[in-house]
Amino acid sequence: MDSGAISFLDLSVINVVGLLVIGFVGGVVSGFIGSGGAFVLTPAMMTMGVPGIVAVASNMCHKFPKALVGAYKRHQYGQVDIKLGLTMAASAAVGVWVGTGVQRSIGAAYGEAGSNLYVSIAFVIVLTIVGGFVLFDALQIYRSARISVQERTSRLARWVQSVEIPGTMMHFKTANVRVSALFTLPLGFATGMLASMIAVGGFIGVPGMIYILGATSLVASATELVIAFVMGLGGTVFFAMHGLVDIRLALVLLAGSLFGVQLGAIGTTYVKPYVIKVVMAAIMLIVAVSRGLVIPVYLAQLGVIEVAASTSAWLEVASFWFLVLALCVGGFIIIGAMLRGHRAVALQARQQQMLQAK
Amino acid sequence: MDKRTLHARLMVSGAISASLYLALYLYEREILETFTRTDGLYPALTVIAALVFSFAHGAFTGYFWEALGVTARQSKG
Repeated sequence: MDSGAISFLDLSVINVVGLLVIGFVGGVVSGFIGSGGAFVLTPAMMTMGVPGIVAVASNMCHKFPKALVGAYKRHQYGQVDIKLGLTMAASAAVGVWVGTGVQRSIGAAYGEAGSNLYVSIAFVIVLTIVGGFVLFDALQIYRSARISVQERTSRLARWVQSVEIPGTMMHFKTANVRVSALFTLPLGFATGMLASMIAVGGFIGVPGMIYILGATSLVASATELVIAFVMGLGGTVFFAMHGLVDIRLALVLLAGSLFGVQLGAIGTTYVKPYVIKVVMAAIMLIVAVSRGLVIPVYLAQLGVIEVAASTSAWLEVASFWFLVLALCVGGFIIIGAMLRGHRAVALQARQQQMLQAK
Repeated sequence: MDKRTLHARLMVSGAISASLYLALYLYEREILETFTRTDGLYPALTVIAALVFSFAHGAFTGYFWEALGVTARQSKG
């Protein structure tokens, strides 16, 4: 694997504008829920003609500085648990390594279609279960009128926190949880496995930190940025050593995403915590539909079922646009919730001023 | 931070960020050739460039939102 046989893309104005826009919306989502954007950026770059491996590598190279800026911003708001992030990132690195190996083995045994099928099925199962659960929880919070108060710790998280295993207990100050490393290690590992498959480990990491460890949505989504930074940096070093990073693509993406990631981070200070869960669930479920649409295509490539070529092409296009839809829906909910929150704060400030004037 | 300082910082960080992106545009081919080399310490250039751009452009985008009045809610965090 090196850049010898790779042809790099000629950047046109349309490509640059497209990357800036997707980078911006992806940045807003990342700054808000801790991850996201990568699942659209890689296929979007491939649609522009960037070879798959270069798209993955360049995406990775834009991800770590974006996560760094987002983590710094949210650290200023007191939302980042650096220790938890680094602990999770250490086991996530092992997860990435194992996940890549599993994918390579499946690829060697069943070819590219087999590998794609495995990724898509894993995508649909994980995202439907976790996304459905997060959405259910968000709806329950909304219906129970608890939206203004602090989030409740889940029953599972209370049990996890109650388990005392001598020699393994860790205290995470910002998250305000004390748990055994024997729980954080598999969670980080699963985050890394998912990241190696779909480039968005946060779909496991963030809900895991909320529902298994008992961190709040704000702390979990902010801490995910630390994990994204560490994994993105490691991935960039790996791909750069093979000459596969198109630095131009990475930096153009960064131009848009740094505007977005700061806006997303600021947004977290205006919204109710359950909005983070709503955004996450909406994105996860739409992405699950996107991946579900291409499963027949891969099954046909493996000769398991028969699908007309025109139907396969249509399904692939629909799948891509569902990814774009997922990102746009996320961005739309975030900016809408942020504007409502901003207006409410401004109104409150005006009322206070009027009261003081009286 | 008063408005004059904010605007001065916005202009300086904007100029640095714009210069970096202008250099990327003008020397696109040379940069791509150099940054895809795998010998010696060339791979480190990729990481260094990403960090330099993120500090310069990240500072600019931060001041940009602040100048527009889009700042974090004070009562939280």
